[in-house]
Amino acid sequence: MELQVFFDKAIYSAEAIKKAAYRFIDKFSAVISENGTSYSCFIKFPDKSTDAQAARLVDEFKKEVLDQDLRESIKRETEGVRNLILAHTFSKAGLIKDE
Amino acid sequence: MLKLYGRGVVENFTLDRSRLFTLTKNSQIPIGERQDKALIIENGSAPEGFGAYLTFDATKDLGQVNHLELPEEMNYIDEGDIARISPSGRIGIIFRKKSPNNTFLLTERCNHYCLMCSQPPKDHDDSWLMEEAIEALDLIPKDTANIGYTGGEPTLYGDQFIELITKTKKALPNTAIDVLTNGRTFKDSSFAKRYADVNHHDCLLGIPIYSDDPARHDYVVQANGAFDETMQGILNLKRFNQKVEIRVVIHKQTIDRLVQTCEFIARNLIFVDHVALMGLEMMGFTRANLDKLWIDPYEYKDTLSRALGILNSYGIRTSIYNHQLCVVNQDIKSNYVKSISDWKNEYVEECDSCVKRSECGGFFSSSKKYRYSDHIRAFKE
Amino acid sequence: MSKFQPIEFYKNKTHSYELLPLRFEALDDQSYVVTNMAGEYLTLPRDKLSKLVKHQLTSSDPDYINLRARHFLVDDKTSIAKDLLAIKLRTKYSNLSEFTGLHIFVVSLRCEHSCPYCQVSRASDDKVAFDMSKEVADKSLDLALKAPAQNIKIEFQGGEPLLNFPLIKYIVERAESLRGTKNIGYVIATNLALINDQVLEFCKQHKIQISTSLDGPKDLHNHNRPRKGSNSYEKAIEGIASTRRYLGKYSVSALMTTTKASLGRVKEIIDEYVEREFGGIFLRPLSPYGFALKTKTYAAYDAEKWHEFFVEGLEYIIELNRRGKEFREFYAATILSKMLTSTEPGYVDLMSPAGIGIGAVVYNYDGKVFASDESRMLAEMGENKFQIGHVLKDTYEQIFLSDALLDPIEESFAYSVPMCTDCAFESYCGADPVFHYGIYKDFVGRKPDSEFCNRNMKIFKYLIKRMEEDSFVKQLFTDWAQPNA
Repeated sequence: MELQVFFDKAIYSAEAIKKAAYRFIDKFSAVISENGTSYSCFIKFPDKSTDAQAARLVDEFKKEVLDQDLRESIKRETEGVRNLILAHTFSKAGLIKDE
Repeated sequence: MLKLYGRGVVENFTLDRSRLFTLTKNSQIPIGERQDKALIIENGSAPEGFGAYLTFDATKDLGQVNHLELPEEMNYIDEGDIARISPSGRIGIIFRKKSPNNTFLLTERCNHYCLMCSQPPKDHDDSWLMEEAIEALDLIPKDTANIGYTGGEPTLYGDQFIELITKTKKALPNTAIDVLTNGRTFKDSSFAKRYADVNHHDCLLGIPIYSDDPARHDYVVQANGAFDETMQGILNLKRFNQKVEIRVVIHKQTIDRLVQTCEFIARNLIFVDHVALMGLEMMGFTRANLDKLWIDPYEYKDTLSRALGILNSYGIRTSIYNHQLCVVNQDIKSNYVKSISDWKNEYVEECDSCVKRSECGGFFSSSKKYRYSDHIRAFKE
Repeated sequence: MSKFQPIEFYKNKTHSYELLPLRFEALDDQSYVVTNMAGEYLTLPRDKLSKLVKHQLTSSDPDYINLRARHFLVDDKTSIAKDLLAIKLRTKYSNLSEFTGLHIFVVSLRCEHSCPYCQVSRASDDKVAFDMSKEVADKSLDLALKAPAQNIKIEFQGGEPLLNFPLIKYIVERAESLRGTKNIGYVIATNLALINDQVLEFCKQHKIQISTSLDGPKDLHNHNRPRKGSNSYEKAIEGIASTRRYLGKYSVSALMTTTKASLGRVKEIIDEYVEREFGGIFLRPLSPYGFALKTKTYAAYDAEKWHEFFVEGLEYIIELNRRGKEFREFYAATILSKMLTSTEPGYVDLMSPAGIGIGAVVYNYDGKVFASDESRMLAEMGENKFQIGHVLKDTYEQIFLSDALLDPIEESFAYSVPMCTDCAFESYCGADPVFHYGIYKDFVGRKPDSEFCNRNMKIFKYLIKRMEEDSFVKQLFTDWAQPNA
């Protein structure tokens, strides 16, 4: 069984869709392509899948794309501070400045 | 409750200033050692040479100078106690040899303005209190197990505070010290370092953390930025291996996050030496803010058990102070401490028939007077 | 007249905040779990999480207060979180600097048992072929004592190590004379069938601990562990009793293996442990190595079945505790330790960077050095991927800086692995390159397919859910989480 899902390029990144698809690698295969203003996702389910199962998985997949989108925002915002904290974790001096 | 301060009737006073005296009942000590001692007269004989003479009856003429006739309720004074006596006949017992908790108030100045402060801050020069404490160091018996320094905020003295600890170490090398401080001054790591360099063998800094929520902590102590400064202070102190106790006062403003606060301590401050979970004392500002602060301990006993359970799990030494046995759960028993200073603690009518009275810390006299739990009941056999 | 300001006065002045590094995973349809850099977690509804990330959460929200106190965000009110996170992380990593604490000596591959799931043993009398020689023992011990760790543990394994007891004696005595200032603890992993007074006397003299196998009640244990006379269980029980008589009650610990026959019987298995007065049990799934794979015992159950078994067991243990019987489950305790404290329990399977070589190293009877116990099991199947050297040929440096050790550690480091890098449970989990190599022929595996990933994700979520819904469980789990508890 095959299905196609579209994601608005203005809102979603290819990265988020790819990461979400990876998480479903044991449930379906996905081919992602760029298509004007959207990304399209060709989803192929194993032969014995029912419509209901497929619909449920597509729903979960869409949710997962949203989650991946959040993860991207977090990563973007926190990368710098993460490196700062790690640097201090491994430095002898510690974070507390001498005043 | 003991009356620690009083005024006596003076006879033949020649004191020109307030002075500290060690109290004694021994009229036979060598003449050379009498000058800085005040003799408590029990049998009427008043040999000459003592700095002062204290009586409790209407003995009129001792034939000595500096005779002070004290009110009857002060007749608990005893050998080895230390008193300040002023020219006008005011007397303050600043050290009692038999008391396990002798505490010196070093200042009333403070950079906190806690909702439940028992010693409301006053912004005036009271550095004489520090001088008196330093003076007393020479009189305190060398075998004293423990003394306390409190405020106000003692570290506002800056390096003078560190000098006090240094002098205490020198004068009383075997005595443990408890200091009550908000810890903020130690955010300056060079100050923390200078303090650590005194290298006192047993000085415990009791520092308050009232909530894991910085806004709430700052609200309780009425000082913006206090939480972060106190935390930094504690981290600095532990970096220099100093002893730190966390003190949490439990009331309506802190109870809702008490469990989270203890989790916070367990996760972030696991290296502290002791945690004290304390009931409210009905002194000072507490009475003015009673409606904001009062919660019956009986209502929070399960929360207290949970909070304590966390600290116990993580192996943090913890004591429960200022609670009565009948308003806490039995599972806190091994952490329960009869903490209220002997000159403050009392019992209420319900306690008369209680079989656990001797194990119980009882009440602050202020609590007895102003507000205590509605659930006080006697344990029967 | 009030000289006192209301709490609003002390709240943050602006609505802006800065996110600290955080990761999340769906717990169920409604709620999500978020974790911070130090592995502390909070649960949140999905919409709160979304608001948080989009900077729409306000400080009047109770979740905001929790998120700030648990170091998921900083604002103009407080910035101490960064210091505290760094301190907690440093505490965690400081354990790693000890390096290789566990040294496993396979003194003989021979065994008088013939368990179908056993990964390594040989039912053979050929001592020359399957016993460790003195020469190999000497060189292995030299390597073990070279490890920088101050506290090391030497564990004797087999086969049945007591079949080569003279060599154990030899190694212990030599280790004692060479250890210098190092502290060495000794463990013999034995089925106890051959334990006797002479062995126990020696154990007593050198404070040697005993680790044995106990799979459950008599019929199950004997079914799992065939031996001539069908008396493996009886031998184990007698052995436990006599070991305790000699060495004290806490000198012996037991491990169980879950086979297909164990499924559905977890309560009986636990009861057996309770009856034998053990303080807890380690509910262990079969490893996909050695004969377990060959004899298809491994394929007997999947992650789903294993989870059912584990959960039923854990719930039963929780009930025991609720009724006042102190008893714990050690796998959960290891994970809880990572969830609730800043300590690193150092359990090889749950370490990232991988614990191989770092957490443990194996000196095989034939002189081959393996990166972990599992590695040598893989090798017994003909897969030598994790042989990191040979005691007679290689130096310490050659072994511990070998590509065979460093490549899998580097490649499997969960922080850089697809999915793991975003996973909220990364700091609780492990890389386990040996497992993944054994099954998927690469160090990483595709996590959605990975039994290891599925099994552990389920357990992480389950443990968090249970703590969140039941304060008794929270307290119990907090106790289990403590190091050395």
